[in-house]
Parts: sequence; structure tokens; C-alpha cells
Amino acid sequence: MSKGEFFNRRTRIFRLSSFRLTLAYAGMFCLSFLVLFGLVYWYALRLVEAQIDTTVASEIAEIRANAGGAGIEGLRAAVDVMTDRAPGFYYLLQDDSGRALAGNLPAMMPLDGVQEMQAPLPPAHGHSAGLRGRGVVLPDEAAYLFVGLGTFELHELEEFVTRSFLWGMVATVLLALAGGSLISLRVLRKVEAVARTSRDIIGGDLARRLPVSGADDEFDRLATSLNAMLARIQDLMEDIRQVSSDIAHDLRTPITRLRQRLEYALRGAGSIEDMRLTMEEALAEIDSILATFGALLRIAQIESGARRSAFTRIDLSELMLRVAAAYEPVAAERGQTLAAAVPPGLAVHGDRALLTQLFANLIENAIQHSPDGAAIAVSAMAGGEALEIAVADNGPGIPEPFREKVFQRFFRLEESRTSDGNGLGLSLVAAIAALHEVPVLLEDNQPGLVVRLRFAASPRADEASGEAPSLALGRPRFAP
Amino acid sequence: MRILLVEDDTQTADYVRRGLGEEGHNVAVSGDGKDGLLNAMGEAWDLFIVDRMLPGLDGLSLVRSLRAAGDCTPVLFLTTMDGIDDRVDGLNAGGDDYLTKPFAFAELVARVAALGRRPPQARSEARLKIADLEIDLLSRRVRRAGHPVELQPQEYRLLEYLARHANQVVTRTMLLENVWDFHFDPRTNVVESHISRLRSKIDRGQEQELIHTVRGAGYCLRVPA
Repeated sequence: MSKGEFFNRRTRIFRLSSFRLTLAYAGMFCLSFLVLFGLVYWYALRLVEAQIDTTVASEIAEIRANAGGAGIEGLRAAVDVMTDRAPGFYYLLQDDSGRALAGNLPAMMPLDGVQEMQAPLPPAHGHSAGLRGRGVVLPDEAAYLFVGLGTFELHELEEFVTRSFLWGMVATVLLALAGGSLISLRVLRKVEAVARTSRDIIGGDLARRLPVSGADDEFDRLATSLNAMLARIQDLMEDIRQVSSDIAHDLRTPITRLRQRLEYALRGAGSIEDMRLTMEEALAEIDSILATFGALLRIAQIESGARRSAFTRIDLSELMLRVAAAYEPVAAERGQTLAAAVPPGLAVHGDRALLTQLFANLIENAIQHSPDGAAIAVSAMAGGEALEIAVADNGPGIPEPFREKVFQRFFRLEESRTSDGNGLGLSLVAAIAALHEVPVLLEDNQPGLVVRLRFAASPRADEASGEAPSLALGRPRFAP
Repeated sequence: MRILLVEDDTQTADYVRRGLGEEGHNVAVSGDGKDGLLNAMGEAWDLFIVDRMLPGLDGLSLVRSLRAAGDCTPVLFLTTMDGIDDRVDGLNAGGDDYLTKPFAFAELVARVAALGRRPPQARSEARLKIADLEIDLLSRRVRRAGHPVELQPQEYRLLEYLARHANQVVTRTMLLENVWDFHFDPRTNVVESHISRLRSKIDRGQEQELIHTVRGAGYCLRVPA
């Protein structure tokens, strides 16, 4: 890590939301610490002061008791005894003229009540000290008695609490900073991993995925969703790549044929009639290329899902019978039978033009891939919420391993690709079915193929204006 | 027919003008939408052929303006916009027919002819008669040389469409769109099979054949010359 990069990284930490959050927490913590300390400090001092006051009061009471009502002289004797006996205590007895009679304090203003003042002598500990005491004016003895106690302990307590507070504060801030940095660095590392992976993907490595630590935390869940998204994108990209190369390959063949034909006509120097024939064939070839393009565009248009806005309630029975009737003579020409068993009044929600094309494609498929004399059956059945339609033939069918593949663009069972059709018929069926959210099932008709589509029955007319169904992303589903 | 072609691609415009000229039509060309609208309003025309994507004013707006101004001249959209909704949009805007590029010239000629001879107001005829073929449009009964002919519903619709455009060439695509409501090109010979069945019911054993195949274009119901 270079110096610049290190600096960068450091400034990045400060900009991280996790770090800012940690700092905010540390600030809050310090504040509550401050309040707590303030309370402890105040109560502790008040407690010590109260203790001093109690001690002093009992001292005064003891002196007066010892004096035993012997007037000012009795008090003087008692104070003298106490002064000798109790270190740390300060005493003063003065008469009403303000002259100090006993004790170790100089004369003072005879004030009743609690007072704080500087201690007259520097105490042995070398601390500057004060004293706190209580004075009582004794009118019977015409004297003033003051007893005080050094506040050294009080100051020591104050100092101790303040010191612990400062150290606590420093430790808290340091811990918060360290913890925040640590958490932020971890977040930063994970974010950087995501950024690095994104850069790799932008750079063209579509197979890259975000690391999943296995801790099942929110980062893992995010990474898992992003990975799923990336996989989907990669699939789609693969599809596009596949389709592009298929298009290139599938169109090169007829264009090559076209070129050969024209070149041959040009070289052959045949009659005008020959030329005309060649040109007609060339036109037919071009028309089939254009038809392939048209079908591809149509599939793309349908897959974009934009048509769903044009969905209406459709009389499926009428539609199926109309399409079946259109193809009946076509089948008959090949000696095939095309039978339709469709009860009247079946309705679905969909696109009329597209569903017409869907059935036409299915029936054409059956006609084209079944031998002469085959039996083709179109049927529809309403059952509960669903409505199933089927197109069945007794032709060669589709072998199990190919059933999923036949929906791919340009896929044909015959590898030679010379037979009729452009390999887009079933892709179009799949696209239209997906648009209508209808699963397409290819099953064995024993023998032959049966294609089943299961529609959700159309909502009744009065609720037909309800919500639009969500966009179907999936491909059609297949029978196991 | 006096035809106004509003088309900004000069190559296409030239091709259409020459081709329709050879068919005996008189074609004028406008290169952009505003110019086209001015020309359309300025003179009397028999037919407008309008591109959808035009500089100045798009084809849909042009046709809407014409219709708003009370102009009922038939309009044929000729456009590369071949989305399924595009056709509906074109017809809703007041177009009478919709042909997508690339197109076969025979297709254009047939559609121009069909639009040109469309009666100004839809006449409600009760029966059509071509030679000894009689079609009762109300009871949907058909007689040939006085004998009743039994037709399937789709055969009847096919015959009616041909008869309504008698003496005109109707293309495969026109039949697919108007008889079967198929807006795509089937891979199998749907039209041919039905025509063949219709022929066997209408023309078989008759002295005069009425249903004719026009090579490279389509079909025509007419009395042979």
C-alpha cells in the first residue's frame, strides 16, 4: 500500500457512514458519561459535607456537655482538652469582646451557622487545605464557640473523582475511535470487494461473483442477491450471444444459396425465360430471409412484454375453431385429419392476434412434422380455475432430450436445416405463451406429440378491468 | 388514378412512382409531412400513400389532420413500422390499409386497386352477381348457374371477399388478413387449399371458370375475356 493510497484509505474511512455512526455513538456515550459523573460528583461532595457537619455538630454538643454548665471557664477547659486530643479538628472559643480564649484558631466574626475558610496552619501533608465548621453564639456564657474540620478529604475526593473521570473519558474516546475504525475497515474491505468485482465485470469478466463469507449476515444476503442478478444477466447475455451467432449462421446459408443461384444465372447465359425463373427463385429466397427477420423481430417485440397493454377478453372457442377450420383443408391435402373438440364459450384474457398466431403455429407444426395420413386433434377443456387446450398428433413426436431445446430460436430436429420452416415457429409459441403467463407442456402422445397450454380462466367481465399481471421473466415450463 | 405519395426516401418514392405509373396511375410525390399535407389539401386526389416516419410531420398526424378536415380520400400506409400495434395505430388514425416495407410490388398494386375502387360510402348491397354466380349477402346463399352451392363458413367468406373485389387482383396477404384475420405469413398453403376447395365447388363442371390465379400476384374473380 503506497503512502497516497494509505492516506486515501484513511480519508475514506472518515467518509464511511459506519465510521460516522460510530463517532456519533461515541459522542452520545461521552455525554451520558458526563452526566453520570456530574451526578456522582455532586452527591459524593454533598455526602462528605453532611458527614463533616454531623461530626462538627456532635463535637460542639460534646464540648458543651463537658463544660457542664460551668460558664465560659468550663467551656475553655473543655475546648483545651479537645484541642489537645483531636488532631484535624479546629476549635475556637472567644468571648463577646472578640478575644480568643481557647482553641487553635484566630478570632473571627461570631457568625452562627456553617462556614468554610482557609486553615491557618499548613497541614502536615503539604496540601493547601481549607476547613469547614459551625459556629454557635452562646448567649448564656456570653461566648462564641466554633468547631471545624479540615476539608482535606473532601478535596482529595474531588480530585480523585475528576481524575477518574478524565481517564475514563480518554479511554472511552480511544475505544470508540478504535472500534469505529475497526468496524469501518471491515465494512470498507467488503465494499471494496464489491467494487473490485464490479470493475472486473465491467472489464468483461462476466463469470465473476461477489464473495460470500458464509456468516449469513446482511452483507452475505446482499452479495447473494447481487450474485443471482449477475447470473441472470450472464444468462441473458449468453442468450443474446447465442441468438446473434445463430442468426448469422442461419441467414448465411440462404444468402449463399441466393448468391450461387444469381452467379450461375449470370454465367450460364441462358434464355430470358431461364433468367426470369432464376430471378423468381431469388425473390422467393429473399422473401424467406425477410420472413425470418420478421419472425425474429416479432419474437423480440413479444418478449419485451409491451403487448400486454392490448390484452382483452377473448372468445377462445371461436378463435380455436376459426384457426382449426383454416387449416383443415391444408391437412386434408396431405391426407391428414384435423379434428377440433372445443366446447363453446371459453374465454381468456389475452391478445387476439398473437393467440391466433400461437394456435396457427402449433397446428402447422403438427401438420408439417406428421406424416401423410396422420390424425391431428385440437381440444380444449375447462376445469375449475384453469382452462387447458391441447394440440396432439400421432407423428414421430419429439424425443425427451430435445423437448426443451425445440423452443430455442433456430432449433430444428433435423440437423441438415434443409427442411421447411425457419426454426422459429415454436420460439414464437414460447414467447407468446410467456407473455400470457401460460406454461407450455410438451408430452408424449404415444405415439406422437401433444402440446398442452394451461390458461388461467379469464376473470368475469365485471372484474376484467383489474390489475395487470406482473411481467413474466421465466421461460415456458416443461413437463418432467 | 391520381395518387399522392408522401415518402421521404427518394429511392422508394421513385420506385413506387414508376411502378404505379406503369399501371396507369398518375403519381405525385411529397418529400416531407408538411408539404404532403399542403398538397393533399390543395387538390383533389383518389388515394394517398403515406409513410409513417416523415420529416416535418409524421404520417399518423398527417392523416389525422386530413380526417379532421373532413377529407375522406382513402389512405394506404406504406411503412417499415411493422409492429403489431403499429397497424392498429395506423388504422385508428384514419388509414384504410396498411402495408409494411419491404413489400412485393404486386401487393402494392393490388391494394391500390382495391382502395381506389372502394365505393365512397359503403353501399349496402343485398346481392352480388358475377356472370351466373349469385351471392345473397343476407341469407349467405350462393347459386351457380341456378344451382345452390353448399359452402363452409370460411369458404363463403373467401368467396364474398373475392366477389366484392371482382375483376381486381387480391393477394394472398389480403385474403389472410380479411378472411381469416391472420396478420402473419403462415408457413403452409392455407389460402391455396381453400381456393382449391372453393374452385371445386364453384367452377368444377362449369363452362366458364370464374376464379383465376394471377401468377406472382394472387387471385381474381372475373368473367374470362
